[in-house]
Amino acid sequence: MVVVSGNKKDRRRKMPGVKEKMNHSTESGTPADARIAAELGAELETGLSPNLQAHIGRHVRAVFDEVAREPVPDHLLRLLNDLERSGDK
Amino acid sequence: MGRKVSASLRDALVAEMGNLRAFGVSLCGDKERADDLVQETLFKAWNHLDSFKEGTNLKAWLFTILRNTYFSERRKRKREVEDADGSYAARLSTHPEQHGHMEMQDFRAVLVRLPDDQREALVLVGAAGFSYEEAAEICGCAVGTIKSRVNRARNRLADMLGLAEGETGQSGDDLGLTKSA
Repeated sequence: MVVVSGNKKDRRRKMPGVKEKMNHSTESGTPADARIAAELGAELETGLSPNLQAHIGRHVRAVFDEVAREPVPDHLLRLLNDLERSGDK
Repeated sequence: MGRKVSASLRDALVAEMGNLRAFGVSLCGDKERADDLVQETLFKAWNHLDSFKEGTNLKAWLFTILRNTYFSERRKRKREVEDADGSYAARLSTHPEQHGHMEMQDFRAVLVRLPDDQREALVLVGAAGFSYEEAAEICGCAVGTIKSRVNRARNRLADMLGLAEGETGQSGDDLGLTKSA
């Protein structure tokens, strides 16, 4: 069983300064509301049952999150420090 | 050529690295190559930070850079060596670190067989948390194109997984991902 749907939100909440920037695309409601609405529209078009859509959705997220949640390799984190240092010169 | 960056912007960059890696893997099917893509993306982002307006969508901007980097490299590479069909799928399915649930393995195996544009649209909208509009901007195409790619991707996955359309009455988790086709 793969349950990941809750984790992404939690993770995003921990990102300082990012959440605010994600809100620009919707005029009304939260981005999540807009996404749910869009998903519902898509459901009507695919002809797949909501169960099946949810099933596929969970798995796509699970495959993605599996990598996204891995610790970022050190050399990538060091790169940012190096870039910053080179800017101080 | 670096420049001073506000702490919040730097934190935001760090916070997106995991998502960028995951997107990179979904594009190229290879973690090492995905890391190279993330590295290049960070370089480019850093050197073009002046073209990024703080307060706009950093995540979408970074995803766009990574995507464009990947596809321009792939075009170059294709000219040198014709990439054999199915090499992507072969790479992913033999990746030693990727184990876990059988069902997940099956799903991964069919996900990589989607056409690139469909998989990309599905991952952006279905996993990376972008709206259709944002995904369209990232891919440089119309919103309707993204919607139809996502729909085709879902239908195709259901098909490949042997999950017939209109089969309801089963809970999502015992739909049984049997590998057909």
